[in-house]
Order: sequence, then structure tokens, then C-alpha cells
Amino acid sequence: MGNNNLSRTILALLAWTIAWIGMVGLESRLDLANLSMLLVLASALSALWLPSWASLVASAVAVMAFNWFFVPPRLTFSVDLRQNALLLVALLLVNWIIAGLVIRQRRLVEAARTVAAREARLRQWGDILRDAGDPAAHAAALRTALQEATGSAVAVSVLRALDSQADDTAALQVGEPNDEQRAGLALCVRDGRAMGAGSGRYDGLPDAYLPLRGRGVTMGAALITGLARHPQGHELRPHLQALCDQMGSALHRSLMSAQEQQARDQAQLQATRNALLAAISHDYRTPLASIMSAASALQEQGERMDNAQRQLLAAGIVEESERLAQLTDNTLQLARLDTPAVQLRCDWESAEEIVGAVLRRARRRPEGARVRARVEPDLPLLWCDATLVSQLLDNLLDNGLKYSPADTPVELHAARDGERAVLAVSDQGPGIAPAWREKVFEVFQRGEMGAAGPHADAGRGAGVGLAVCRAIARAHQGELLLRPGAEGGCRFECRLPLHGESPPPQSAPTPQETQP
Amino acid sequence: MSHRVLLVEDDRVLRSALREALTIEGYALQTAASLTDARAQLQHAPHGETIDLVLLDLGLPDGEGQALLAELRRSSNMPVIVISARESEGQKIRLLDEGADDYLVKPFGIGELLARMRVALRRRGRTSEPALLHYRHGPLAVDLKARRVRLADADVRLTPTEYALLARLVRQAGQVVTHRHLLADVWGGEHTEQTHYLRLYMGQLRAKLEADSADPQHLLTEPGVGYRLAEPDPTD
Repeated sequence: MGNNNLSRTILALLAWTIAWIGMVGLESRLDLANLSMLLVLASALSALWLPSWASLVASAVAVMAFNWFFVPPRLTFSVDLRQNALLLVALLLVNWIIAGLVIRQRRLVEAARTVAAREARLRQWGDILRDAGDPAAHAAALRTALQEATGSAVAVSVLRALDSQADDTAALQVGEPNDEQRAGLALCVRDGRAMGAGSGRYDGLPDAYLPLRGRGVTMGAALITGLARHPQGHELRPHLQALCDQMGSALHRSLMSAQEQQARDQAQLQATRNALLAAISHDYRTPLASIMSAASALQEQGERMDNAQRQLLAAGIVEESERLAQLTDNTLQLARLDTPAVQLRCDWESAEEIVGAVLRRARRRPEGARVRARVEPDLPLLWCDATLVSQLLDNLLDNGLKYSPADTPVELHAARDGERAVLAVSDQGPGIAPAWREKVFEVFQRGEMGAAGPHADAGRGAGVGLAVCRAIARAHQGELLLRPGAEGGCRFECRLPLHGESPPPQSAPTPQETQP
Repeated sequence: MSHRVLLVEDDRVLRSALREALTIEGYALQTAASLTDARAQLQHAPHGETIDLVLLDLGLPDGEGQALLAELRRSSNMPVIVISARESEGQKIRLLDEGADDYLVKPFGIGELLARMRVALRRRGRTSEPALLHYRHGPLAVDLKARRVRLADADVRLTPTEYALLARLVRQAGQVVTHRHLLADVWGGEHTEQTHYLRLYMGQLRAKLEADSADPQHLLTEPGVGYRLAEPDPTD
């Protein structure tokens, strides 16, 4: 600003200087009336650059100096000829009129420029608010915008939540207000009305406090220090309030939509949870019913039964209890894998060992003899959580045994496919209808009896089983796929990434000599 | 002489079911429903009888069963089998490393419990059987004294490391030995994280001793925990 004023003054002085040099130089060749035209020109030019009072004074001084130097009798202020007097008066008036017009034009241009600048700022501010998602970013940006608009120090206080209070813990503060100003900000938020300089409330304060108003709520407040002393304080106020209100409604909108989103998420979560609970309790009830009826029969009619009948009931209780235990494991595992930062206990594991352990467990089941296993010798160690991968294979085998005829084998095959290990379980059952090939992995999707189900002869499904398997594969950055088997039936493929080669075997040192 | 077993379990139904089942098998049963109760019974065994084995639940009304395990291990090597509903492999390993003889996750079958108890009691030399120097399971026979391994009556040549690993498992036949214990005892304390050594040497052992490596009968894997050599055939 200072530089600008200086250069304008220099330009005006230059105009006057050139005009006077011209007048002195041309005096002998031109008459007085023509000479005075240079004066009119210089006066008009200087009005473009000088402040209004300065250009009026400059015009008056110039006319007097013209009278002194050029109008006869020279070097006096007295005017001898009537026409010269008219010339001087006209000269002065014309100078003033021109200066006045030019100044007025300049003011209009300046006002238009200010309005345009404010509009641009509001627009820009709107863009910032639209793009920023975080109140902290909003507050710092508002502070910058208000500082640009006023040139004063600004502090902004923003509420973090719709129902919080404007004390320090609940509000986000930007800027360095002192304690008194902090209290002022809090009061302004609570009342939701402007206060301080020029607002009609606490008018004596040097600073102004403007609320950030949303729809029906106040989302915070801004402090503009020294607005009382600001030259354009009065005109600036509506503009500043507009900036603040834009911020207020943006904050309000963002908090409202966050709240809505949260409510929607909550409702969705609740719905999922309810579906899960309903499905779990259904799945638990079936084995529980078998256990209950067998156990109560033993209790009430045991004495009248023969040994074989009692054995049959007891065996049913054991089998159904095992089913319940497996269901519980699966449900728990699914819940665990569903949490965001699930920790796997990974180690270098041998596929052969995992398959061996799974096979041993499967053999204990009544139908376990149908399981065949094959591990390709070129399979390197896997970096995985052995417990989880065993659980995955347990479930796949369980599924295969359940959905294939009693005289067909269920095969477990571990092989390498490029940079992946493939653990596959295939059965020779009826297979799964194409429409169900993705759905079987969804929690508690089970084939119902009949043609609509995934298995043409679907019996009781293990609700969470396949969902857990897929969750386990994905927790290992792997995938679980269902492919139609070569000879009918299903082939579930768990593909796990091989994390490079396992550590080199030769690194194993010679063990300590141990005496058995 | 029947073995005296202290069952520490706070669930009434499970407690009475186990008491019945174990009594039928000829064990003398004492039960405790809390840590305090268990401590009192361990200190003042009735009729001057000493307790031979403890079945320990973890979550008890007045504290963690783990505390009792630590106290017992400070003063004795009495067999302790943990029975717990908490299925966390990390905890299983910790308890085994801290001296539990075995670990059963609820629910379990009575047959499995009896097998584990038999193994734990034999290992502590509480039975008439001598300390295990000869291991025999199906076609596999290991003679620790002669450092000799035979499969279907033919000698098997093992490298020193393979033999050390097998011998370590034989000394605790029928029980889980954690990765950490195996690595510390065979390779030395500084190698307890190098589980891939184990994978390699167990693979080699299986190739020499098992008919089908993918379906082992002797060298069994407890995924995520350790290895178990199958319970030896009963000796006559």
C-alpha cells in the first residue's frame, strides 16, 4: 500500500513538473489561454493519482502560481484584465470539476474492486469448505481468510460435536487469544450472537466476536482483534459475518452428515448382528435338540433300554457335542477375524505337517476313512498361522464329507502353483449350483433342502464354516475359491502367497551334543 | 494302589461328571472349586495321602489357575494337566513352557483325558513302569540306552541331529513338546525362534520313519504349538 501511494505521488509530481516546464518553455510563443490548457491537463492527470484533498489543493495552488508567474502584471496576485480574471476563475473551476469527476470515478472503481475481492473471497472460502472434511482444517482456513480480509490478528474456536460446549476441551482453538478473549469466544458461542466493537452488545470492547452460525445452532466463534479501530470496520462486518456463517453451516452440515452416516452404519451393523444371532441360535438349536432328547431319554428311560440302545443315544450326544464345539470355534474365529487389526501368529510352517494334523483329526470322525491326502514334495514352507490354516482345512473336509456320498473319497491336495501354495479339498458329491457358488461363502447362507439350495441333496449346513474359511484365507492375503470338480463335485481351493523362499535349510547349525 | 487326583474346577456339572468318570476308572478323586480350596487340599492331604496328579481349570472364582501352576512348579514336579475353555494357542504354549504337563481344551472326551493322564503319570515315574528307555509304537522302536532306532525290525540310520530330536520326543512320549523346548534342548537356548530347523528335521525324520509323511502315525503335529510322539504301546 505504502509503495503504491509513493509511486502515485511521484507520477502526479512528474505530471505537474512537465506541465510547468512546458509552460515556461512555451510562454513566449503561446498566449495565456492556450498556455493554461497545460495546467488543466496536469490537474486532470494528478487527480488520477493523488488523494482527493491533495488534488484539489494542488489545483488551487497551481492556479495561484499561474496567476503569479504568467498573468500580467507578473509576480503579483493582482489581475489587470477582466478577461484574465475570467480565465483564472474558469481555470480553477474546470480543474476542480475534472479532479472531482476523476476522484469519484476512482472511488467507484475501488468500491467495485473491494466488492469483487470480497465476493471472490467468499467463493473461494466456499470451495475450501466444500473440499475440507475436517473441522481443524476449516478453523485454520477461516482464520487465514479473516486475517486476509482485515489485516488483524484472528482467533477461531470451533465445536467438535453438535452438543458440546465451548470450553477448552470440547472446542478446537486456532490462534492465540488471551484468557479474556477466550471467555469472550465461549460467551459468543453460547449466545450465538455477535458482540464487541460495533455490534451493539459490549460495544466498548476493542475486539469483535462473530458467531459461526449453522442452521439453528452456533458451531463456534471468531475473534477479530482491534476491529473497533479498523478504518473499514463498519463496512467489513457483514462480509466477515458472511465468512463466519458459511463456516458455521458447513460445519453443521458435515457434523450432521457424519451423524447420519454413523446412524446408518449402526443400523446396518445391528441388522447384520441380528441376522447373525438369529442364524447362530438356529444352528445351535439343532444339535442342542438332539443332545437334549438323547440325554433326557437316557435319564428317563435308560433303565428300560438295552445296552445297544443306550450306546446309540450316547454316541449321538458325543457327535452332536462335537458339532457344537466346532460351530463355536468357527463363530469365535469369524468374530475375531472380523476385527480390523487382527493379529495372526504366523511362522514358517510345513504344509505336510498341517495336512498330517488335519488328517489325523478327520480320521477320528466316523466317515474319516474316506479322506485321502497328497502333499507335493516341491512345496516350500508356508508363512502362515498353522492353527487357522488347520481350521480352514478341517472345515473344508467337514463340508466335503457332509455333502458327498458315503462311498466316495474326499481328497486333500497340497501343491505349488507358481508363487502360490494351493491347498485344495475336492469331493465327488453333486456339486454346487452356479447361482450359489459365491453365496456359499456368505455368513449363514445355507442351502435349503430341495432344488433351490446349493447342494441338490443339502442336509444340515455348517452356517459359518465356509465364511470362516474365506476369512482365514484372506487374513493371509490369500483367497478361497470354489471350482467345479473335474468329475463333478466341488473343489475348494485355498491359494496362499508364498512369501519368497523359506529360510535356507543349511543355516541350521549342528545341534549341541545331547546324551540321551 | 490307586492314583489320587485333585480336580480343580468351578463348574459343578463338569466337576461331578469328571468325578464319576474318573472314579469308575479307579482313580481316587478329590475336588476343589476354587484356588483357596485347592491350596488347602494340596497342603493338608487327607488321610496322609499325597496327591499324584492335578487337573487344573484356568478361570476360577478367586483367581487364575496359572498362579497355582507356578506355585506347584516352584516346589514339586507333580503332574499338572490344564483343562480350559480358552482356546488361545499363545496361552497353551505359555502354560506348557511354564511346566504344565498337558493341556486339554474344553470340550473334550473322557477317552482323551484318560490317555493324557496315563501319559503324565507314567512320565513322573508314579507307575510301576520303569522310566522310559525303550519306546515302541507299532513298527517303530527306539532304544535310548543303545542309541538305536528300528523300524519293522530293521535298523534306521539317523543323523546326530535327527536322533537328538527323536530322543527328546521319546523322553516325553505321548505329550506335547513345544517348539521352544525342542529347539532349546536340541539346538541350544539361542535358537528358540528358529522353528524352520524343526520343520526341516521333522520332515527328514518322517521321511525315514513314517510310511506316509502326510499321514504320520508316530511323529504328530500340534499345529501352532509343538510336536507329540504317539503314546507308546502298553508294555506287558
